[in-house]
Amino acid sequence: MPDPLISRLKRLIVEALKLEDVSPNDIPDNEPLIGAGLNLDSIDALELVVQLEKEFGIKISNSEESRTALASIEKLAAFIRQRADPARLPH
Amino acid sequence: MALVSPTPSVYLAAYGCLTAFGNASATYAALCNGERALTLQPALGNRGGDAVPLALCRGRALDETAPPNWLPYVQELVTTLPAGDWGSPRRPVFVTSSNFGVGSLYAYRQTRERVHLDYGTPSSCVDWLRRELGWGENVSTFSHACVSAHLGFLQATRALHAGLADEALVFSFDFLSPFVAGGFNALKILNSEFPAPYENRASGSIGLGDGAAYAVLTRERSELQITAQALHNEMHHFTANQADGAGFAACIQQIMPAVGGRRLWAKGHGTGTLEAGRLEVAALEQAFPAAPLVSWKGSLGHTLGSCGAVELAIAAECLKGEYIPGTVGSHAPGFSATVAFDPLPGRAFDGVVCTSNAFGGAHAALLLSHE
Repeated sequence: MPDPLISRLKRLIVEALKLEDVSPNDIPDNEPLIGAGLNLDSIDALELVVQLEKEFGIKISNSEESRTALASIEKLAAFIRQRADPARLPH
Repeated sequence: MALVSPTPSVYLAAYGCLTAFGNASATYAALCNGERALTLQPALGNRGGDAVPLALCRGRALDETAPPNWLPYVQELVTTLPAGDWGSPRRPVFVTSSNFGVGSLYAYRQTRERVHLDYGTPSSCVDWLRRELGWGENVSTFSHACVSAHLGFLQATRALHAGLADEALVFSFDFLSPFVAGGFNALKILNSEFPAPYENRASGSIGLGDGAAYAVLTRERSELQITAQALHNEMHHFTANQADGAGFAACIQQIMPAVGGRRLWAKGHGTGTLEAGRLEVAALEQAFPAAPLVSWKGSLGHTLGSCGAVELAIAAECLKGEYIPGTVGSHAPGFSATVAFDPLPGRAFDGVVCTSNAFGGAHAALLLSHE
């Protein structure tokens, strides 16, 4: 059974960044989100961070932290689990 | 895409600046003492927000007023300008800024009070300023993010050498507002950490500062000259630099033929971000391996579009003074051994390379030296 947080994050990326021709299932769990893989850039990263902060009530305080969090979907999920109120996570 | 100064030099007949420390002389003295103007303040002014490093002019609040509360500071700075008919046909004014009165536009959006619109756009803001300062109609406006002031210097130089002006005034300003501070805070590069330009640390951050400055350029010989100028735009990405730093190098290389045998130091852009800082240091080190490198934004904050003019005025003070302030707010290890953290002896040098860099791979450099 797929991890509900990972599924939610993939949907959020497609929706927040209005990715055309990409479905949530196309996003691999272990590939970098910025640069390679989805080929997102720094502006995409910023939009994504803003959405993540809103949805999960977390704070990403600088661009290096954002880069760490966005290293891959799996890393992002782990980052959010560490910081978010469990009540805000999908079950 | 590169623009090279069409002539080898122009003279700096007068200069001045205003920062959180005061005028150019006070700012120079504070930097030599290693003082930091930045303090942690709410990014959104009286509406709160994260505490971020800001350096506002003394007594000025971040919040918007109508007219903008920075006008008296500009008026005070302008009193130190050489008297004359600025804005007349032979004495043009080149106004540069990154944000102009954008905070007023945001204030209008927040309050719906139309009075803010008089200052909210570049044209309305500069026109208002021109009238308040008593300048004539020969005022041009230029903006290109953080290389805005350099763009003004180059346009003024061209006007002088084309015979279109006897003297040219480059006037640059950028005063902070909740919109600007909040925007950089949202970008995650303005956070609760003080900036440490060129310091090799785990995360980068910037500070922001109020800044205004002027430079009067002329063809008449004077003590200090801008020996060479260059602008370069990578046209690579609308925010990012080329990853290999080629844009930084391409700009700096344009001024190298003018260096001659001068003993140089370098005043870099050095905001406190890591990626751009590393690229900048590498390019400067490659071009000028013997030139110690400093940045003052760890103290003054980044004065945005005015930074090139503010830092030119301080660099001019350095060429006349005994010391060159070090990179205030930063500590070893740096990105390179060329980074100078402590003040340098001014007499060991006879010229300075001043660089600025902007969003979207825009780069600027100039060489300021004794005549």
